[in-house]
Amino acid sequence: MAGYQGRVLRVDLTSHKVFAEELNREWARDYLGGKGLGIKYIYEEVGPGINALSPGNKIIFMTGPFTGTVVPCSGKLSIVTKSPATGTILDCSIGGSAAVGIKRAGYDAIIIEGKAPDLVYILVDDDRVEIRDARDYRGLGTHETEGRLKSEHGDDCSVLSIGPAGENLVPFACITSDFYRQAGRGGVGAVMGSKNLKALVVRGTGEVRAADIRRLMDVALEAFKNDLLTDTNLWAYTAGTPMIVELSHSTGILPTNNFQQGTFDHFERIKSEAVNGVRVAKKACTACGLGCGNFVRSGEEVLEGPEYETLSVAGSNCGIGDLDAIIRFNRLCDDLGLDTISAGGVTAFAMELTEKGIHDFGLRFGDVEKYLQVPRLIASREGIGAELAGGVKSLSDTYGGREFAMQVKGLEFPGYDPRGSWGMGLAYATAPRGACHMSAWPVAEEAYGERDPFTIEGKAQLVRDLQHYNAAKFSLILCDFWALSFEVMARMLSPLLGREVTAAELELAGERIFNLARLYNIREGFNGKDDVLPARIFTQPLTTGTTAGKTLPEEEFRRMLAEYYTLRGWDENGRPKPEKLAQLGLA
Amino acid sequence: MILHYQPEKCTGCHLCELACSGYKEGVFNPALARLQVSSGYKGDNLVNEARLCEKCFKCADACSNRAIVYDRGPLSLVLDDCVQCGACIEVCPTAVLRPDGRGFPLLCDYCQGEPYCVKWCPHEALSLKEVE
Repeated sequence: MAGYQGRVLRVDLTSHKVFAEELNREWARDYLGGKGLGIKYIYEEVGPGINALSPGNKIIFMTGPFTGTVVPCSGKLSIVTKSPATGTILDCSIGGSAAVGIKRAGYDAIIIEGKAPDLVYILVDDDRVEIRDARDYRGLGTHETEGRLKSEHGDDCSVLSIGPAGENLVPFACITSDFYRQAGRGGVGAVMGSKNLKALVVRGTGEVRAADIRRLMDVALEAFKNDLLTDTNLWAYTAGTPMIVELSHSTGILPTNNFQQGTFDHFERIKSEAVNGVRVAKKACTACGLGCGNFVRSGEEVLEGPEYETLSVAGSNCGIGDLDAIIRFNRLCDDLGLDTISAGGVTAFAMELTEKGIHDFGLRFGDVEKYLQVPRLIASREGIGAELAGGVKSLSDTYGGREFAMQVKGLEFPGYDPRGSWGMGLAYATAPRGACHMSAWPVAEEAYGERDPFTIEGKAQLVRDLQHYNAAKFSLILCDFWALSFEVMARMLSPLLGREVTAAELELAGERIFNLARLYNIREGFNGKDDVLPARIFTQPLTTGTTAGKTLPEEEFRRMLAEYYTLRGWDENGRPKPEKLAQLGLA
Repeated sequence: MILHYQPEKCTGCHLCELACSGYKEGVFNPALARLQVSSGYKGDNLVNEARLCEKCFKCADACSNRAIVYDRGPLSLVLDDCVQCGACIEVCPTAVLRPDGRGFPLLCDYCQGEPYCVKWCPHEALSLKEVE
């Protein structure tokens, strides 16, 4: 079974049992790996109504067929579970070295189920798997956790760990690996915490095989030279995601003061040139030919980040124009184990609630001192952190302000204002895990590209196609930052697997994966009424820059959504019709 | 020409090792590569290091069975003459030389003058330079 190791490691923390089982080959063919195959396993194994933080939930660390090969940008790992933030299916990805470690240890995936009686970590050292006591690690940040685990097990292992936020079941707790890579969204870290699992330590020293390695290396080298190392992708290396700050500001979609504006007066202080001014090194994930990671200097320390989502949602969106403060906020969130997007979003929401006099959290836009206290309070659930830890939706349920609670299905908005990129509104509304920029990223073609951002014309088709594209790409797994075609993916996958894979087959797999995620959510009680945006987007015009006066009018959004359902073969409630399910092999 | 490494240009992607093992061993396994790169966050900084064959030929000189041959050209191993004694590995000054799973030394032959590790290095951290 070239391209796969053919084995899944299963760890049951309740019964303290560890065993390897055969990978389901039929599922691997239909769902590829990574995101898709992870969703399939969760769909089949985590039934409806299971509390995401109960022992009945499972968490899957899934590699893909390209993992561990020389195919560039293949170093990411999918983490799939049921989300404690949204109650939906949740797939996250994380870079670094862990994916390759798992595959080289001989597994396509590690599935964790149950709950340990006390805090543990799992050691996977090739064939040796142990559940070990982690009580000494309780309350430690991810940096110290990883450092200590590497001291004990060697620098050549990979560590996936949670901080106090995960232990304290904050619903937007993340998982950190290689010190500075995160699986951020939707609370994967809280699911680990609910299982009393502090960390997963992996060392793999084995090999990964291809059916026709010569042909694979020839086509991969050609793609590497002519398709990857081009201007289309190299921005990730030369600048990395901070370059998006200026793009968003100039197109009026940079979230500012909890999405009250789409431009930020101090954007120059947090844009790419400012980050490059303190940059000391570049870092890539394993097998990445780009290398988007920016190591920067802050005081005496050298640390990684911040990325665009942090600079925007936890920067301008909180009125913070002090780059070093954002770097510190980022570092605190990474160490405490918090998603910077949701942490930034809830901080901004609390700032607006305070400034509007709805409830006084003592937080104000641009107040650096208070802002820097927030991550620790949330992670420990102390003071205002006790309430902020619930996230934007929970806070709006308690205090109101729903019309400017910037979330979908309970997941906080990332850094793109849909009033200046209407397709992005549809993408947020229909992404399986809530407001998400990884399901589809139409801003590249709308606000940042050639398409009119203020029309719904053609947007349903655009979003649908991008959702299939990302679903397939994140299943193989390839990084978001390589803008390659289905044809190039197929050209590399065929010699790896030893059968001729077509671009059309990959696109269909993407559609199948997206629909299966939808079916999971429908089984959990979600339907079309949940595909909505907060009222601010529909009714409150932006006031500055190129988006001044713009909303995404609700009737336009409704028309776009209806067109999208029709294109998808879904009924008016957003449920896939039987003929669509039959076509995708999901009937 | 010898391999030259510039740590400040390295991003720690390990594509060089993956490519080397793929071409030379027919599998992807950095443990079987003819070079080793490490890139890690140590203390408060990112540290990149590499071990490369610098063509000093001490391994060949150390081989009492003359199993490692070179004639101003690439190193090669006469499998039938190698007794897996490890003398070549012990003497390697850069410690780049390692045994494969069976104990044979993983000699770098510079891929007939066009090393794959160099071809696969995205940011020119690896290059060939004239021997001084």
